Amino acid sequence: MPILQANNVSKNFGGVQALKDVSFDLPDSAVLGLIGPNGSGKSTLLNIIAGLEKPTSGIVKLDSKRIDNLRANRVVGYGVAKTHQIPKPFSNMTTRENVAVAVLYGRRNIHSPSLALQEAERTLSLVGMGSRKDAPAGSLTVQEKKRLELARAIATGASVLLLDEVFAGLSPDELKDSIQLFRKLHEELGFSALVVEHVMRAVLNLSHNVIVLEEGHVIATGSPDEVVHNDKVIEAYLGSKNSAA
Amino acid sequence: MVATELIVRDLAFGLMLGCVFSVVAHGLNMIWGVVKVVNIAHGEFIMLGAYGAYFLNLFAGLTPLETAPVDAAIGLLVGYAFYYAFLHRELRNKETITLQSEMVTLAATFGLSLFVSNLAIILFTGNPVGVNYNPGTLLFGYLHVPLAALYVAILSVLIIGGTWLFLERTFIGSAIRAYSQDVTATELVGANPAKVASLATGLGFAVTMAGGALLTVWIPVGINPLMGALYAPISFVIVVLGGPGKMWGSLVGGLTLGVVIDLAQAFTTAQIAYAAAFLILIPVLVFRPEGLLK
Amino acid sequence: MIEKPGLTLYGLFIVMALLAAAALLLGVAVSSLLVLLLVYAALAYSINFITGMIGYVDFGHVLFMAIGSYALAAMISYYGANPLLGVGLGALLGLVFALGIGLVILRFRGVYFAIATVVLVLAAYNIVLQFPQLGAGGEIIFNLTFQPLATYFTIWTIVLIEIVLTYYVNRSRIGFGIRAIKNEEDAASSVGVSPRTLKLTGYMLGGLFGGAAGAVYAWSISGVTAGPAFDFTFSLLMLAMIIIGGVGTSIGPLLGAIVVYIPSYFLLTTVAQAQPLIIGLLVIIMALFLPDGIVGLLRRSNERLRLLLE
Repeated sequence: MPILQANNVSKNFGGVQALKDVSFDLPDSAVLGLIGPNGSGKSTLLNIIAGLEKPTSGIVKLDSKRIDNLRANRVVGYGVAKTHQIPKPFSNMTTRENVAVAVLYGRRNIHSPSLALQEAERTLSLVGMGSRKDAPAGSLTVQEKKRLELARAIATGASVLLLDEVFAGLSPDELKDSIQLFRKLHEELGFSALVVEHVMRAVLNLSHNVIVLEEGHVIATGSPDEVVHNDKVIEAYLGSKNSAA
Repeated sequence: MVATELIVRDLAFGLMLGCVFSVVAHGLNMIWGVVKVVNIAHGEFIMLGAYGAYFLNLFAGLTPLETAPVDAAIGLLVGYAFYYAFLHRELRNKETITLQSEMVTLAATFGLSLFVSNLAIILFTGNPVGVNYNPGTLLFGYLHVPLAALYVAILSVLIIGGTWLFLERTFIGSAIRAYSQDVTATELVGANPAKVASLATGLGFAVTMAGGALLTVWIPVGINPLMGALYAPISFVIVVLGGPGKMWGSLVGGLTLGVVIDLAQAFTTAQIAYAAAFLILIPVLVFRPEGLLK
Repeated sequence: MIEKPGLTLYGLFIVMALLAAAALLLGVAVSSLLVLLLVYAALAYSINFITGMIGYVDFGHVLFMAIGSYALAAMISYYGANPLLGVGLGALLGLVFALGIGLVILRFRGVYFAIATVVLVLAAYNIVLQFPQLGAGGEIIFNLTFQPLATYFTIWTIVLIEIVLTYYVNRSRIGFGIRAIKNEEDAASSVGVSPRTLKLTGYMLGGLFGGAAGAVYAWSISGVTAGPAFDFTFSLLMLAMIIIGGVGTSIGPLLGAIVVYIPSYFLLTTVAQAQPLIIGLLVIIMALFLPDGIVGLLRRSNERLRLLLE
């Protein structure tokens, strides 16, 4: 039984068909890569799953429960957390407090601020941000803010993470570290993840399966290897420089 | 007069009033659209423009039409000062106005609003004054159209059209338009963001104060230090109706409001008419927050 | 889980105890003076919930004060009721109106919310003038025996409740949620916070206590008049108090009230316009240069103070 399931999800923005009949299964503890050229609807799909948008038609189910008609904060309560492509930290709160909010309002049933702060510290250490716990979140570098996004999502206790281009803009060394970190976290925490990415190396390295969107349709699914050699996918990306680094 | 004739008269007057409302709101619209800052003290500068018309009429015999350009020149300077005093620090390093900056400018301009209005009470006393300007009336069938209202309406539309032309056809105008879309892009086209923003603010204030002068034609006994409290909300409603940043929105919003208020007063009291005009804001924000224009 | 309170709360209790003692020991003249101070403080704490903590600038907060004033004035004038009932009604109506209004306008962000609150005050003012039940020209005056201590300790109790509420909200899970919303509302919902619920709660608390304070105010001046009741100067005062004191903090509103009130009292005897003039100037300066107020300044200057002052 897949933990996350999308059935024929379509989204129409006043004339623009952003998504058309998108379906996929995300098995428990699996990592599903979601790739596609710009404008293919990846972000829209993530937003719909996260409850930030409603689908025009179609259903999203988490553990057989419908979540496509829920508001974003309730979706978090069910166990799905999304990061932001452009990080949105709570700038005037410390890094630790940022994560503590997630602990307090996720699905972990921790209501005590002091306990939440402790948990937040643990999570920050897990993602390698322990040293920055008392820094005001607004003063973090872009990369640190991205890590903070990840930490917050994990801290909600989510069983499904929706990651929006977390590997973007990294140097080759940073990318290597981030891929290792993700592997470690996945092993330790066992979450399921839907990973939207342009950085092919990350997708190929970390995904069990990949689905490819183009102009709102799913044009291919399969293992990373299969997808990379798929003619339709290559054609969709013709001109793209994001080949396996 | 028969019912239809009354309605036509109210419509005509509402439209002329609406034209003046439009230019009164236009300055707010410009600043809101370009620098993305809402000047809560907007009403106070309308008030200053109106007093300008009063004093220039009193001491130099100038009509409101003649005062308008003088007020505009003063407004330009005041606008520059306002930009550097209130906005420069907040906007200098940021690409868009953050929520914290928004709170800061809201609070600061709120303080400014009460400071200026109370200063005006001290300087001008609270007694309402007015400008006497009556070049006669025009007979249009059964309509007696006061020429003052007509001239002012025409000038108002010219001002709005003029700013539109400026923004569309001049280099500085396009720099301003670029700034309103993307501050960093402004630098890329070779313009200095601070200069662009300060100019836009100056222009906004110029239009506002000129609008205050033109407004005096409609309030023969209504120039008082607290009049900003009425015309600022009217301006806010107009800008929201037309859509902040949309230049012709001022005209659309202003005409709508002018007609609504004038027609409403035919059926109910002035108070209810104004209350209704203000409350229009809320359903518009709920159902069409981008404004009535496409 | 309630943690042990810090120094701030004890400090605030001490100040409140001093205020209580002053009223009991120093006689009627002093308590009449201090009633207005406590009304100001109550108003500051009430606007603090929605504007200081959640960050939604409520220019129209004077609306709740007016509602409370009219509630009390009507109760005493037409029903001869006990003033305390009037205060209760003022609080209740403030709460109910805040609920109704909040459901509609809290979905607006930033400036739009602020303007909507202004528009509501103007509309309410015009509407009140239409209803003869609310006094001819919106004025209701009543004649009550002078009960300075009753008035004083009513408002004193209200402020005390507000202090405790503010303090514990700031320290609780809700406080974290509120701060998240104030910083970055969209990101807040992505970690499970419900902005709708918290915003409405803050606004309703503002309405509840604003109404209560307004009722006591009307009690203390034996009436209500439409013009002054809906005067935006009150909103300015409330904003000034929390900006000067420190937005969102537990100390800020009381500190701001003291800073604003003492000079106001003396200024009122000179030029009537001087008060809003100076307050307006203060607000401009504070907003531009010290947006987190006196408490914020102290907290930034010293590590120990940062931990002690809340």
